[in-house]
Amino acid sequence: MSDKKKKNADKPQGTLSPKDYKGKVNPDWCAGCGDFGVLNAFQKACSELGLPPHKILVVSGIGCSSNFPGFFNSYGMHTLHGRALPVATGAKLANHELTVIVTAGDGDGYGIGGNHFTHTARRNIDLTYLVMNNQIYGLTTGQISPTSRMGMKTKSTPYGNVELPVNPLTSAIINGATFVARAYSSEGSYFVNLIKQAIQHKGFSFIDIFSPCVTYNHENTHTFFKQRIKHLEDEGHDPTDWKTACEKAMIWGDEIYTGLFLQNTERPTLEQLEPILDEGGPLAHRSLGLTEAQSSKIIEWMM
Amino acid sequence: MTYIITEPCVGVCDTACVDVCPVDCIHFNVKNPDAGQEMKDMKAADPNVNLDGLQLFIDPEECIDCAACEPECPVEAIFVDEEVPDEWEKYIAMNYEAFGQEAP
Repeated sequence: MSDKKKKNADKPQGTLSPKDYKGKVNPDWCAGCGDFGVLNAFQKACSELGLPPHKILVVSGIGCSSNFPGFFNSYGMHTLHGRALPVATGAKLANHELTVIVTAGDGDGYGIGGNHFTHTARRNIDLTYLVMNNQIYGLTTGQISPTSRMGMKTKSTPYGNVELPVNPLTSAIINGATFVARAYSSEGSYFVNLIKQAIQHKGFSFIDIFSPCVTYNHENTHTFFKQRIKHLEDEGHDPTDWKTACEKAMIWGDEIYTGLFLQNTERPTLEQLEPILDEGGPLAHRSLGLTEAQSSKIIEWMM
Repeated sequence: MTYIITEPCVGVCDTACVDVCPVDCIHFNVKNPDAGQEMKDMKAADPNVNLDGLQLFIDPEECIDCAACEPECPVEAIFVDEEVPDEWEKYIAMNYEAFGQEAP
């Protein structure tokens, strides 16, 4: 049996192919952009998990990577700059049976929306947060972002960046995220598996993804990452060990680690801790207990 | 969706596409982790090597549709599958078959 046939035999009947998750609009990213790898891996992950598009919501903020929901076949919301996590939190609380994915870039997620990143992590709400980190503001044509290295020369820092970059992984770990991973957008099936694990994790799952900007960042290129990426598994890393996870996350040089840094499966999620949500089905499907007259009155008042 | 290498590549096998592919999915007849390396090795060993009938292929399952290869090709052999010219349509199936896959 060929590899392809074997792969198909493992899939449950009626599973959609990655192509079925392709949106009606083709991506407008630059040729070679790392975001293509993220979109492709996410389509494969959803296909392999057998998630039907009508049970997925993808929420984004603003930036090149935040055009993501438009290129993916599911429910989607393109929201305000940095505000994707609060919108997704609202959606998840209203319908906690929905698989809610949040996509962002390093500017949107760690800069403008940095505050929400902290609070969503500590709440441990069951969202999957995919941050396409290219270490530059690409949509605005090349200024330093919160993850640009010190000394980096850009349009906004002609004499070099004087600010220390944030470390998204240690931030997430310290703030209480229960699934913290890092990936490189071109890692194929390794990356697909990480996304699958993140979606299946119950709680806030976060993947910082190196997604090179081929137009405005000439330092952190595909070649830069291909020469440096090492997998945590090969080092025998234990994802329940948060101290080693922080140490590994701080390493940045000739070796840069990708993989699952931390996973805590014991902490309950926000939805499980909220008695109203824990006892019944999604709020969105429950009866409001209003008469037709009362509903009409409210609608009239709102109009 | 995937990109497809068509007839102009036959006998040329430039490999400029191999150098820019972020996922290393462009190969010469066999799949190996160093994408396209076999062709580079052949050319390095003998610059006048006979390339008649030979071409590079894109692995449709690995291609992420990023279009990086398309403008690099000196003979304009690369097209996204939806835009392959009619006369070269058979190359769509050929790219899939090169990796033991069935064309959709």
